[in-house]
Amino acid sequence: MPKIRLENLVKRFRNVQVLHGINLEMEESEFTVLVGLSGCGKSTILRTIAGLETVTEGEIYVDDKPISHLEPKDRDLAMVFQDYALYPHMNVAKNMSFALRLERRPKDEIERKVRDVATMLGLAEYLHRKPAELSGGQRQRVAMGRALVRDASTFLFDEPLSNLDAKLRAKMRTELAEMHKMLNKNMIYVTHDQIEAMTLGDRIVVVSGGIIQQQGAPQELFENPANKFVAGFIGTPAMNFLDGELSEVDGRVKAVGTGFAFDLSDEQTARLNGHRGKSVTVGVRPFAIRPGAHAGSTIDLNVKLTEYLGSNTVLICMVGDTEVLVETESGKNPESGETVTMSVAPQDVLLFDNKTELRL
Amino acid sequence: MSAASPYDRQNPTYYALIVALVMMSIAPILLMLLTSFRVNVDIMDDTASLFFIPTIRNYETVLCNVLPYAPEHVDYCDPTFGRALGNSIFVALISTGLTLVLGCMAAYAIVRFKFVGRGAISLTTLIMRMVPPAVLLVPVFGIWTYQFGLDGTYAGIILVYVALNLPFVIWILQSFIVQVPIQLEEAAKMDGAGPFQTFFLVVLPLIKPGLAAASIFTFRIAWNEFLLANTLLDRNTRTVPVTIVNSLTEHDIDWGVIMATGMLLAVPPIIFTFIASKQIITGMTAGAVKG
Repeated sequence: MPKIRLENLVKRFRNVQVLHGINLEMEESEFTVLVGLSGCGKSTILRTIAGLETVTEGEIYVDDKPISHLEPKDRDLAMVFQDYALYPHMNVAKNMSFALRLERRPKDEIERKVRDVATMLGLAEYLHRKPAELSGGQRQRVAMGRALVRDASTFLFDEPLSNLDAKLRAKMRTELAEMHKMLNKNMIYVTHDQIEAMTLGDRIVVVSGGIIQQQGAPQELFENPANKFVAGFIGTPAMNFLDGELSEVDGRVKAVGTGFAFDLSDEQTARLNGHRGKSVTVGVRPFAIRPGAHAGSTIDLNVKLTEYLGSNTVLICMVGDTEVLVETESGKNPESGETVTMSVAPQDVLLFDNKTELRL
Repeated sequence: MSAASPYDRQNPTYYALIVALVMMSIAPILLMLLTSFRVNVDIMDDTASLFFIPTIRNYETVLCNVLPYAPEHVDYCDPTFGRALGNSIFVALISTGLTLVLGCMAAYAIVRFKFVGRGAISLTTLIMRMVPPAVLLVPVFGIWTYQFGLDGTYAGIILVYVALNLPFVIWILQSFIVQVPIQLEEAAKMDGAGPFQTFFLVVLPLIKPGLAAASIFTFRIAWNEFLLANTLLDRNTRTVPVTIVNSLTEHDIDWGVIMATGMLLAVPPIIFTFIASKQIITGMTAGAVKG
């Protein structure tokens, strides 16, 4: 499978600049997920790779060959669209074989391929139905089938699951992951759903404002976010952000604010020694706030509401004027209205610059 | 519980009104039909009644040169009508076909391609529609006859009809093409279709209802048009409406034959409309994209 590389990709629609220099390198057979809020430019990146949008500046390389001047059909790509885009006047078999028929492949080859893919997707008995006679999930499968029969080296997915209901989405997600394992092809996947991104991606690319905020393996992004946006975007429930200050208490640097005072790890202390007195944003994941008060690293929580989720319970608390979410094991959690003190381990405290929002 | 449907409680005058309206539209045709089955003596009889011995003589007279046998009551077989019917069908079908081919491409270009003057062209097509054919009559006659030498030819009349119908067809088809989701065209592009394949294999099948509606419209205009046909065509290329009028002379008006011709004139458009309207089905794009 070819390696795809985006170099300094810029896209402007008239005066509006949508992409501000995207640099991205995808490994062979990698499942790359572009994730971000709607309007961040992630779909535009996909569409420029597909050839549906032109590139204003920069270049797309496939195996070091520039392709941005090529027509979509010459790029060896297959794409699955968000709202399926099935040809309504053709039945499932015709929909899936459209590309092969355009290439004038032999009839028996087309038939065999369509049958193979349809069987794999559980569509074999629907081959003669029109799209209008299929359910949403089946249509989505046909859309994928249409891409799969093509044997393209790279598959592009533009939010393919966003129109399905929650249960079906989870199922299709698993199927997609299995499919990727089996096919071993390049896949580039656009979604606004960070759970999809985390579960599917070998590499996650977080996009915001037409800029890549951070890219890396799911775990890397979760544990080591480069900035406040990535930290807040990846992970559910989302990370808590508190306003604080770096101050020296008993010879150690601590992150202190209304209602909390956190010890920092030795590594952080060493690094931030020169920043005493600086205002910072303190980030703590909901699961990192644990019951029990450890000396020196505490947070006072006023429990407002509890959300029971089965094995876990999310506490919605106030710390000063800031809302803070805490994820605890069910059964041991305090009631609404209580005020409790909990603790945070030093390695779970993330600090961000107030102005640049970069990780400190 | 269940409320009576609104139809149960209608005022009788409502039905009377409907019957009157139906009569108003059907009566002339009925009269034409009845007259076409009478001999001239019956038609001109002051005591004309609903009771008469129907005859197909008039139809035989009209179709004498098409029929496999020679009707005995016809002394001289006038080939005018048979020829005119052929002319009408030829002119109407060719001009409809040309209008559709040009119209769908033009409409697609106006909807999908961005070019300078797109809005102006789209609007002009509508404005062109507001010019009555009678206004065009004299200049067209002059230009066709003295400049192009197209008077009395099929090409001449077909050209006029195509030009006359094209704006409306473009306008109708635009609204159908707009409804074809752009994602379908993008999907076709990704599947390797060129612009023409996208147009013919994906867009065109989806605007079939629009093409059918437009074809009914253009066919009927080309079929019924009298003014321009009367001006431009000669003896050999005349269409049916012109022949009917021409058969009214100061010496003789054979009402029976005229009515029979009128009935025959009405048949092809009915057949055409019937076939074309089968293509007018809604929901062509159902299932294409998430609604």
